[in-house]
Amino acid sequence: MINIDSYAYSNKLKTVHPAEKSLFAMMTMVVCLTAPTVITPLFVLAIMAGGIVFKAGIPSRVFAKLMFVPFSFLLISVLTIAFSVSTNPSGFWLAQTIHGLTVGIHYPDLFTALHLLLRSLGAVSCLYFLALTTPMTEIITLLHKLKVPVIITELMVLIYRFIFVFMDTATTIRRAQLSRSGYVSLKSSFRSLSRLSSALLGKVFVKSQELYNALAARCYSGEIKVLTKKRPVNLRNYLMITGFEIPLILLNLLWR
Amino acid sequence: MSELILEAIDLEYSYPDGTKALRNVNLQVHKGEKLAILGSNGAGKSTLFMQFNGIFRPNSGTIKYQREDISYKNKALIELRKKVGIVFQDPDSQLFSASVWQDISFGPLNLGLPEEVVSERVKQALIDTETTDLEDKPTHLLSYGQKKRVSIAGVLAMKPEVIIFDEPTAGLDPRHSQEFMLLLEKLSLEGKTIILSTHDVDLAYSWSDKMAIMFGGEIIAHGDPGKLFRRPVILKQADLTLPWLIEMHSELTKKGWLPPSTPLPKTKEDLFNSISAKSKILG
Repeated sequence: MINIDSYAYSNKLKTVHPAEKSLFAMMTMVVCLTAPTVITPLFVLAIMAGGIVFKAGIPSRVFAKLMFVPFSFLLISVLTIAFSVSTNPSGFWLAQTIHGLTVGIHYPDLFTALHLLLRSLGAVSCLYFLALTTPMTEIITLLHKLKVPVIITELMVLIYRFIFVFMDTATTIRRAQLSRSGYVSLKSSFRSLSRLSSALLGKVFVKSQELYNALAARCYSGEIKVLTKKRPVNLRNYLMITGFEIPLILLNLLWR
Repeated sequence: MSELILEAIDLEYSYPDGTKALRNVNLQVHKGEKLAILGSNGAGKSTLFMQFNGIFRPNSGTIKYQREDISYKNKALIELRKKVGIVFQDPDSQLFSASVWQDISFGPLNLGLPEEVVSERVKQALIDTETTDLEDKPTHLLSYGQKKRVSIAGVLAMKPEVIIFDEPTAGLDPRHSQEFMLLLEKLSLEGKTIILSTHDVDLAYSWSDKMAIMFGGEIIAHGDPGKLFRRPVILKQADLTLPWLIEMHSELTKKGWLPPSTPLPKTKEDLFNSISAKSKILG
C-alpha cells in the first residue's frame, strides 16, 4: 500500500490532469465490467498494463506483484464456480466419479468462471492505474469538484494524512519495544502489542487536540479550504481516451 | 520606544488537570521587536504562546493586542489570528494535508483572499523557506526538517504582523537553521514582530533585542539580553548556560587581553574586531 502511494507521487503521468486519468480508469472499468465477452477484458488488461508499465514507468515487476494479490484469491473464488458436485454424471466436460458422486466441470461453467476472472482482473487493473498514477490528494480534490459532500472530502484529507502520522508513531513505538526485547515470546508479544495499541489510542486524542489548535491558529472556521495546483487540461488525452473507449464499447455491443 | 503590540497582564492559567502552567505572567512586546523567550522544558513557553492568539483562554488576566483587550468571540478571534501567527513545535500536528501546496494555501484562503493572490503567496512562502522543490511531494515523505520548513511556510503565507515560533530551530540542521535566521532577519526588516522560544542561549543572545526568561510558569526576568546574561542567580534558577560570546569576553577581559571597557560582543564578528583592535594597539 505504501509502495502504491509513493509511486503515485513519482510516476511519469503525475502531471497529467487527475480528471483525465480518473475518467480513463473509470470508463474503462465500466466497459470491462459490462463486457459480454472475454475479449474486452483481455484488451483492457493489455491497455492498462501498457499504460502502467510504459506510460507511467512503474516497474513491470511491481505491477505483476500487485496483480498477483487479487489474482490469488480471485482464483479460489472462481474455482468454486467452475467445479460442481452432482449425483448425475452426465453433461460434465471433465469429471471424476467417486462412490456415485461426480466432481467436475461443466463447459459453460468453466467459461463463466474464466469470464468472471478476466473481468475482475481487468477492473482491478483499471483501479491500479488510477492508484499508481494519481496522488490521493488530487483524487480528493476531484471528488470535491464533483460535489461530493465536504464532510466526506475533509475526512478523507485528514484520514489520509494521519494514516502516515500514526504509522510512523506505531513504527517508532514498535522499534522501541523490539530494542527492549518486547517480542521475544508469545506472551510478551501479546503484552507489547496491547501496550502499543493503548499508547497509540492515547496519542490519537493528544494529536487531534493539537491538530485542532494548529488549525485554529490559522483561522480555521469549520471548513477546510485548500488550493490545489492546477494541472494542464490536455485535449489530446481526451481524444485518446475516446479513441480507446469507442472500439471497446463497440466490441461489447456487437458481441451481443 | 515604538508602540506596544502585544501585552500580557497578570496571566494565570492552569490546564484542566490542575497543572498550573502560567503564574502571574506580565510581558510587553513592542512592534518590530525581536523577542526571545528562554526556559527549560515545561516552563510554560508554549502555553504562553497559545494565549497570544486566543487558543487558550486565561483563567484570569488579559491579553492586549494593540492596547485593546482581545475578545474571545469567533469573529474577533479570527481577526486576531490574522495578525498573530504561530508556528508550532511539532510539524506533524500542524500539517493537516498530505500535499505541501494544499497545506500552505489553507491559511491565506481562510483570510478570504482571491485564489490568484493565494497562489502567489504560496509560491513566495515556498521560496522564502527553500521548499520549492518539495511542493509536489507528499508531506509524509518529507524529513523532519523539511516538514518544519513547510509548516513555517504555512504561517508566512498568511503574512501576520506578529509571528511566534515555538522552538523553530530544534531539529533543523546547521545550514537550515542559519538560513532560518536569515529569514528572520528579513522578516524583521519588513517590520514584523517576532517572538521565538528556544533552548539555544547563543542564538537567543545574538539574535534578540529583548529577552524573557521563564521558569515554572513565571517570567523571572525580562529585558536586554546582555544585561540578563550578567545575572548569574537568574541563569542558575532557569538552568541556563552562558552564551559562548559572553564567556569568551569575560575570560579575555579577566586575563587582561581586552580592556574592561570593551562593549559586550553581540556577534562573533564584534568579538574578533575588538581582538584585532587590541592587537593593533599592542603592535
